[in-house]
Amino acid sequence: MLATKAFPAAHEDLIHDIEYDFHGRRMATCSSDHTVKVWDCDENDQWQCTASWKAHNGSVWRVTWAHPEFGQVIATCSFDRTAAIWEELIGDQAKDGKTQWVRKTSLVDSRTSVTDVKFGPRHLGLQLATCSADCIVRIYEAQNVLNLSQWSLQYEIQCGITCSCLSWNPSLSRLHPMMIAVGSDDPSPATGGKVHIYEYSENSRKWKRVEIIPVSTEPVHDLAFAPNLGRLYHTLAVASKDLSIFSIKPLGKESLGSGGISKFEMHRVAEFSDHESQVWRLSWNVLGTVLSSSGDDGRVRLWKANYAGKWKCIQVINGNGQKISTTKDSKIVTVTSSNNQTQRIYQVHPV
Amino acid sequence: MLGSYPKGAYASAKNVEGCPDGKLQAIWGLGNQLFAFSGSTPDTRSKGRPAENRVSSDICDVRWNTEMHTFITRKLVNETHNVFVMLQGQVASSTGSNLQSQMVMSSKQYRAILKACSMELMHMAETCEDSDERESCEDQLQIFEMIQLIWGFCQILFIEVTPDGLLLNQLLDWIKWHFTDGKRLAVDILHDEVPAEHPAYWEAIFRLLLQGEVDSVRKLLSLNNSNQNEAFLSVDELLRKMPQWAHYHHALSAAEFDMKWRHWRDECQRRLEEGHYAAFPNLETLVMVLCGDENVFTEMKDMCGSWYHLLVSKMLYQNPTVRAPDLHYHAEACMEEFSLSGTRIGELDNILLAAIQFDIHQVIKDSSAFLSTGSWWFVSHFTDLLHHCGQLDTQNLAYGSNLREFLLLEYASSLMSHKSLWQVGIDYLDYCSVFGRTYITQFINHMSLDNEKKAHKLLHICEERNMQEEVQTICKVMGMKSLRRGKLGAALSWFLRSRDVTATSKLTERLIMEYSKTGQFEYTDILDNLGPAMFLSNRLTFLVKYREFHKLYESGETNKAASLLLSLLEARLAPRTFWITLFKDATPLLESEKVIFNSGQTYVLMHCLEELRHELDAKTDISQKLTDMEKDKLDLLQLCLTRNLSKAIKAEGTVKTS
Repeated sequence: MLATKAFPAAHEDLIHDIEYDFHGRRMATCSSDHTVKVWDCDENDQWQCTASWKAHNGSVWRVTWAHPEFGQVIATCSFDRTAAIWEELIGDQAKDGKTQWVRKTSLVDSRTSVTDVKFGPRHLGLQLATCSADCIVRIYEAQNVLNLSQWSLQYEIQCGITCSCLSWNPSLSRLHPMMIAVGSDDPSPATGGKVHIYEYSENSRKWKRVEIIPVSTEPVHDLAFAPNLGRLYHTLAVASKDLSIFSIKPLGKESLGSGGISKFEMHRVAEFSDHESQVWRLSWNVLGTVLSSSGDDGRVRLWKANYAGKWKCIQVINGNGQKISTTKDSKIVTVTSSNNQTQRIYQVHPV
Repeated sequence: MLGSYPKGAYASAKNVEGCPDGKLQAIWGLGNQLFAFSGSTPDTRSKGRPAENRVSSDICDVRWNTEMHTFITRKLVNETHNVFVMLQGQVASSTGSNLQSQMVMSSKQYRAILKACSMELMHMAETCEDSDERESCEDQLQIFEMIQLIWGFCQILFIEVTPDGLLLNQLLDWIKWHFTDGKRLAVDILHDEVPAEHPAYWEAIFRLLLQGEVDSVRKLLSLNNSNQNEAFLSVDELLRKMPQWAHYHHALSAAEFDMKWRHWRDECQRRLEEGHYAAFPNLETLVMVLCGDENVFTEMKDMCGSWYHLLVSKMLYQNPTVRAPDLHYHAEACMEEFSLSGTRIGELDNILLAAIQFDIHQVIKDSSAFLSTGSWWFVSHFTDLLHHCGQLDTQNLAYGSNLREFLLLEYASSLMSHKSLWQVGIDYLDYCSVFGRTYITQFINHMSLDNEKKAHKLLHICEERNMQEEVQTICKVMGMKSLRRGKLGAALSWFLRSRDVTATSKLTERLIMEYSKTGQFEYTDILDNLGPAMFLSNRLTFLVKYREFHKLYESGETNKAASLLLSLLEARLAPRTFWITLFKDATPLLESEKVIFNSGQTYVLMHCLEELRHELDAKTDISQKLTDMEKDKLDLLQLCLTRNLSKAIKAEGTVKTS
C-alpha cells in the first residue's frame, strides 16, 4: 500500500538535491535559485520549512548533513566554485518555529564548479570531501569539532578526469581503510573508465587510487556505496546510461615497498537498463539492502537482492508517486488446481 | 491503520513530462519512505543556465506500509514474538525428544495465533463498510488460509514426524480442519425436518465419508427411510467394523493393522460383488469407496474439491499405512485428475508438491516468492522452526550467513519503521548471530531520539547488549539537542553520561562565563549531585568545587572555604580568565578581622597574583580580556594581600596568653 503526499517545495528554480538528516525527521533542499531550505517533520508527519536562506552566488548542486553528534550542521556546494558549511544557531526558537543558520566557513580552493560534497563517516571524525569539475577531490577536516569555523584542507586528490559525484564508503568496520569512489561525467570515451576508487593508506598518509572500474565508460551521473553491515564485500551502485551494481571484495594488501595497496576482487553483479534512458540518481536505504534509482523515463525503481545474491526490481513508482505493478503477468494468479468450487483468486501486491 | 495519508488527499505533483529539464530523482529516507522530485543534475560544462520561467516541482513524500502495520497483524507480530523467543530458549536448553515435542508445541502455537487472527480478520471483513478495506481484508484472509494450509501440511511432514513414519491420521485431521463443507452440510441436514429428503443428503454423506468421519456417516444413514433395510444394516455393520488407526493407538504394529484392514476390505469387496447393495445405487457407490475403487474416486473428486483432499481420501481407502516418502507417487496421480479437467497448476499446488517431495528449500523459495510480498512473517518463522528441527541445509550463502538468518533479518527490518514494533524487531535481531548486532547498531544510530523516554529506552537496549559506543553517541546527540533548546543543565548531564570530555568542558566554560556575568549559579542541583562524574573534565571539577566554596562561605565555614579557594588557585583548575573573580571572592576573606589566610597561604596567593600580572605584562591573550578597571583591582588586591600578610605574621608571631 503506497501513500503519497506532495507538498510545494517553494523554490524558485529547479531543485538539485534533497537530503534527509540522520534520523529522517529533517531534510534540506537546495536549488538553482541559490538558496537552501531546511524542513522539519512535525507530529502530524507534515513537512514545514523552518529555514531558508541564500547560500551561494550560483546554483547550489548538493547538500549533505553531518552526524547529529556534531550538532545541526550541513554543507553545500555550488556552481560558484565554493563549498560552505552551515550550523544552526543554538538558542530559543522564534515563535513561528523558524531557526537561523549561520555560515561557519567557505571552502574556496576550487577553480571550477564544485559538483558534490559529502561528509565522511562519523567514526572518522568530522571530515568533508568535495569534488569539482577541475578534476580534484579535496578532503577537509575540522580541527576542533566544537569550533566549526576552522577547517583545514588535508588532501587533494588529482583524479585526472572531471568529477561529477563522489561517495564515501560508510563501512562501520575499522578494518577497512577509508575509501572514496569518484564518478565522472566526461563524455569522451578516450578518458577510459569513469569510476575511480581511492583508498587512504595509513603508511604513506596519502590517498591512492586503487581501482578504475573498466566497464564503466559512459558518463556517470551518480554513484553510491551501500551501507555495509558486516559483509565481507562492498557494494557500489553506479548510475549512468544504465544502472550497474558492483561488488568489491578486499583481498588483503599487496605490499609494494613502503605502502601496501589493497587489492580487490570486483564483479559487476547487476546491470539494468529498465529505465531505458539515463539514470540520474541513486539512493540506498539505511541497511544497504534496497536501492532506489531514478531516471529520464520519469520513474523510480527499487531494487533488492534475494538470498542468493540475485538483484531484481521489486517496485516501480512513477513521477507522481504512484505505484506501477511490476508483474508482467496478469494480476490474477491461480492458487490451486481444483474444481471451480474452491478455486481461489489472489492478487499479487508487490512490496 | 497509519492513517496519516487520507486517500485522495494528495495534490498532483507537477508533471515530470511537462518540465523539459526535469529529471526525476528520488532520495531514500528512514524506513519505508522516500522523496521523489524532479530536478536536475550539475552540468559541469555549462556556464550556468539562466533561469527561464522554470519553477521547482513539488516534492512527493512517498511512504508505504506493509501489512504488518494493521492492528490485527500487529497482534500477530506481538504474540508470535513470544513464541519465537521461547522457542529459541528451548533450543538452547533442551535436546532430543524433549526438544521435538517443544517444536511441535511451538508450531501449534504459531498456527493457533494465526487462526485467531484469521477469525478477527473475518469478523472485520464482515463488519467493514469501506469496500477497498474489505477487499484488502479478504485478500489478507486468503493469504492467512493458505499459510495455515501449508504450515499444517509441513508440520506433519517435517516437524511432527511419528516414529513409525505413518501419517494418515494427521493428514485426516488436517483435511478435516481445512475443508468443513461436509460438516456444515451435515448440521443443516440434521436440523431439517426430513433429513433423508434433503437435496444434499447423499452429498453430505459422501463428503464425510471421504474424510473418514465414519460415525457421522452412520448417523446420517440411520436417518434414512430405508434404514431398516438389510442393505443399510449391512453397510452400517461394515462401517462399524472399519479398522481405524486411531482406535488402536499404536497398540498394533503397522503390519498387524494392515492385515486387519485388508481382511475388512476383502469383506467389503465380497459383499459388493455379491450384489447386496444392488437395490440402492448410492449405497453401492459408498461401498465402492470403502473398497478403494479407482473409478469411483474419479467420480468423487468434486466432493474433494482439491487434489490434496483427494490424495488423503484415496490413501484412507486404498493404503492407510502409507508412509511419507511414498506420498508423492500417489500425489501426482491425483493432480492429474484435476489438471485433466483443465485447471492450471497454481502456486499453492507447487508448494505442497514440493513439500511432498521433501524439497524444503523449494517450499521456502516458492513461499518467499509468492507469500512474502505482504510480509516476511510466514517464511521467517517457518524457516526458523524447520532450521531448529534440523531439516535445513545450514551452510552459509554468498551474503555471509544462512537462509534462516536472511529471512529473520528481512522480517526484523520490516518491523523497524513501525513506531512501536521496532522493539520486537530488535529482539529478533538478537538471534541473528552473524549480522544481528551490526543491524541493531545501524538502526539505533539512525533512530530519531524524539524524546527522553525513547532515548532512555534505546540506551537501555544498548546497555543490555554492551554497545558502549552507541550509548555514547546517543548521549552526545541528546546533549546537542538539549543544547539547541537552551537546556544547559540537561545537556550537561547528557554530556557527562557520554563521557565526552571536550563537549563537557566547553559547556562548563559556558556555565562559568554565565556565572561571572550574572553572579548566579544555575543548575545547582545537578552540580551538587555529580559525585565522581565531576572529574571527567577539569573545568567541571573546578565549577563543582567553586560552588562548594560558595556553600562553605555562606554557611560561615570560612576557614574551610579559604583553603578550598586556595587549592583551586594552586591546582590551576580555574581558567585564567576566572582568576580575577576568584581573587574578588578572596577579598572579603582577606579583609575580615580574623586571620583566615595564614602567612603561608598568603604567600601562595601573592605568587598567583604575580603570575597573573606577569601574563598581563607579557601581553598574551588574557590581557585583551581584562579591562582597565580590573587591572586597577589587581593593584588593590596586591594591597589587600600585603595587609593580610602583615596581619597573619603578627598573629602567628604572637604568643597566645591563655
